[in-house]
Amino acid sequence: MKRRWLAMAAMLLLPMWTHAAPVRLGSKQFTESVILGEVARLAARQAGVQTVHQRELGGTAILWSALQHGDIDAYPEYTGTLTHELLKNVPPEADIPKLRAVLKPLGIGITDSLGFNDTYAIGMRADRAAQLGIKRLSDLVSHTQLRFGFSNEFMARSDGWPGLRQRYGLPQMQVRGLDHVLSYHALASDAVDAIDLYSTDAEIPYYHLRTLDDDRHYFPHYDAVYVYRLDLEQRSPAFVDSLKKLTGRIGADAMRQMNAMVKLHGEKETVVAAGFLGVQPDGDGVGRWTRLWLRTLEHLRLVLISLTAAVLIAIPLGVFAARAKRLGHLVMALSGVLQTIPSLAMFVFMIPFFGIGTWPAIAALFLYSLLPIVRNTYAGLTGIPPDLRESAAALGLPRGVRLRRVELPMAMRAILAGIKTAAVINVGTATLGALIGAGGYGQPIVTGIRLDDTGLILEGAIPAACMALVVQGLFEGVERWLTPRGMRLEARQ
Amino acid sequence: MTVRWAYARFKPPPPPRPRMPSISNAASEAFELRGVSKRYGNIAALSEVSLRFPAGSKTALIGSSGSGKSTLLRVLLGLEWPDLGEIRVDGAALERTQVLALRRRVGYVIQEGGLFPHLTVLGNLALLPHHLGWSRERIRQRAEELAALTHLPPGALERYPAELSGGQRQRVALMRGLMLDPGALLLDEPLGALDPIVRHELQDELRAIFDQLGKTVIVVTHDIAEAAWFADRLVLMRNGKVVQDGRLDDLLQRPADPFVTRFVGAQRTLQGASP
Repeated sequence: MKRRWLAMAAMLLLPMWTHAAPVRLGSKQFTESVILGEVARLAARQAGVQTVHQRELGGTAILWSALQHGDIDAYPEYTGTLTHELLKNVPPEADIPKLRAVLKPLGIGITDSLGFNDTYAIGMRADRAAQLGIKRLSDLVSHTQLRFGFSNEFMARSDGWPGLRQRYGLPQMQVRGLDHVLSYHALASDAVDAIDLYSTDAEIPYYHLRTLDDDRHYFPHYDAVYVYRLDLEQRSPAFVDSLKKLTGRIGADAMRQMNAMVKLHGEKETVVAAGFLGVQPDGDGVGRWTRLWLRTLEHLRLVLISLTAAVLIAIPLGVFAARAKRLGHLVMALSGVLQTIPSLAMFVFMIPFFGIGTWPAIAALFLYSLLPIVRNTYAGLTGIPPDLRESAAALGLPRGVRLRRVELPMAMRAILAGIKTAAVINVGTATLGALIGAGGYGQPIVTGIRLDDTGLILEGAIPAACMALVVQGLFEGVERWLTPRGMRLEARQ
Repeated sequence: MTVRWAYARFKPPPPPRPRMPSISNAASEAFELRGVSKRYGNIAALSEVSLRFPAGSKTALIGSSGSGKSTLLRVLLGLEWPDLGEIRVDGAALERTQVLALRRRVGYVIQEGGLFPHLTVLGNLALLPHHLGWSRERIRQRAEELAALTHLPPGALERYPAELSGGQRQRVALMRGLMLDPGALLLDEPLGALDPIVRHELQDELRAIFDQLGKTVIVVTHDIAEAAWFADRLVLMRNGKVVQDGRLDDLLQRPADPFVTRFVGAQRTLQGASP
């Protein structure tokens, strides 16, 4: 029996140490980035370099941090993002040679442009634009009645709508925030007249849109490039070469088309990238059930390790909080503050300490699991009637024995309820682990959201919900089993 | 008072062995308070109380709620520590390091019993002996002896406190206090939560047990009739001070203070109304 448990623990832990020597590519959580990641992986495979591709690792902050800490070796990026978000003290119009000089001291290299500029643009329906005679952004000035629908990010960023309005002196008053996914539908159904978009969006040809010419050069350049760790030049020069060979090969039309194949025609990124390079795609060759099983293992591993660690730390913390009143308040306040940190931010905080993948997710889940257990342990212990606590003391039992034989058993029910709450929250939050490469049920959810594919979302959401229910049921059983019978009886008078 | 017959069956445990070598007559005091004061915020629970409790004596502490009588028991056990003054136990000043050892030599019984709901009766009784390394058989044997002494029905040892009546719970609390055969028993309103008939019955039994065991007994109650039934010596407290220390007769005939007459009078009217 014991051996079986050990074997199971080993099975859960092992994959974490079989860390790969191959070059590790990353990509952001949007289709173009995933395609470019696959293009780079397949090109490297052509050159005989072993690579793995960690897809859909959340946002820019996660990838940049992972690259700097050596958890990934390369990923597709945009020059505008480097100048505006990632690097300080760099002029916004800095070109690639300038960026290369700035990045070098950081140990990071940058390729030349891949051949397209994926910048913000303003788009209108081609027929409507033609009817009004609008070709350039400055043409908008004379059409005050136009209604704009901009993504919330674009509305808020200083290099978004506020700056655009100022640069061109735009007079339009009907401007509202929209979700980017919805904005195309809104435009197609004439609910708005113009939206913000990215110049390589798949929807541009699909909806017959015209992107307006930025004649006053307001939008910064977002040339697509690969960034990579400079130590690759020694470790795997062939890989760096294969990246460099891709520069200048991918035009805006080609990119738009690849985006459209994935987003609008449901092709796999690998297939599209292989088609572009003219090579054979390497199928993942894993059936749906195997995939589900693997994800279940990944998810269980996240939950079990983080929850076990949380139980081991949180119960002593709760005991301590109940004992030392003043310091106890501090402990409770701190674990409360941890709970308020948004999950994605928490994952990003963990990267410098744990890299990407399973461990930062476990660390974050561990921190989230602390509060319910600490709080319930504290409540369970302080809820013991004072006369009972004093009875135990008056017997002449030492503190440790009182805690073990009297106080903890009496608080058991509350403690178990806390662990149950933590476990259920943990199963849900673990789905976000996919954003930092931890896998689990979050992976199909992240992909499904990106591709607007409900079936794929459900492939992650349903098993996650089932696991939460199973965990809940399991703990109810444990609670029944571990709560002493005497605690379940109503006192007779 | 009709329950005496029960005790004939009970074989008393061996008399408590002497604990401290007798150095002076101070050694005959089981407990002593010397100028003890204890405050909770602005309220003086005890204010310069000095009392002696000779070994083997029986004393009832009486007074209204908040008079400091419960606090007095608690400082004797080291559950509270006096702000001023000294507690002496068996002739020596009480120190923090000795508190656990002291508590094991004293049985303490509180209102409602203070039984642990997650343990059976036997589990409650076994807590301390088990910690001290008693064997299972020895614990059970002692528990059965005490069940006979306190008239706990057979089979009750395996029940949980929630499955017992109020009177039975109180008996178990007393048994728990007596497990190690302590030299002294401190009881804080032991019968306060019981209905009058059970209470009356238990008063009889408790007094018989006190007489039979010959231990130092200090019992806290606010019922003067109960106090006089248990002990010859009554100590009346008010606002943390001892108002009078004497026999019932002294309190009736020679009150130290008009409050004594009022306290005794108020109680006697109640008792006198129901013969």
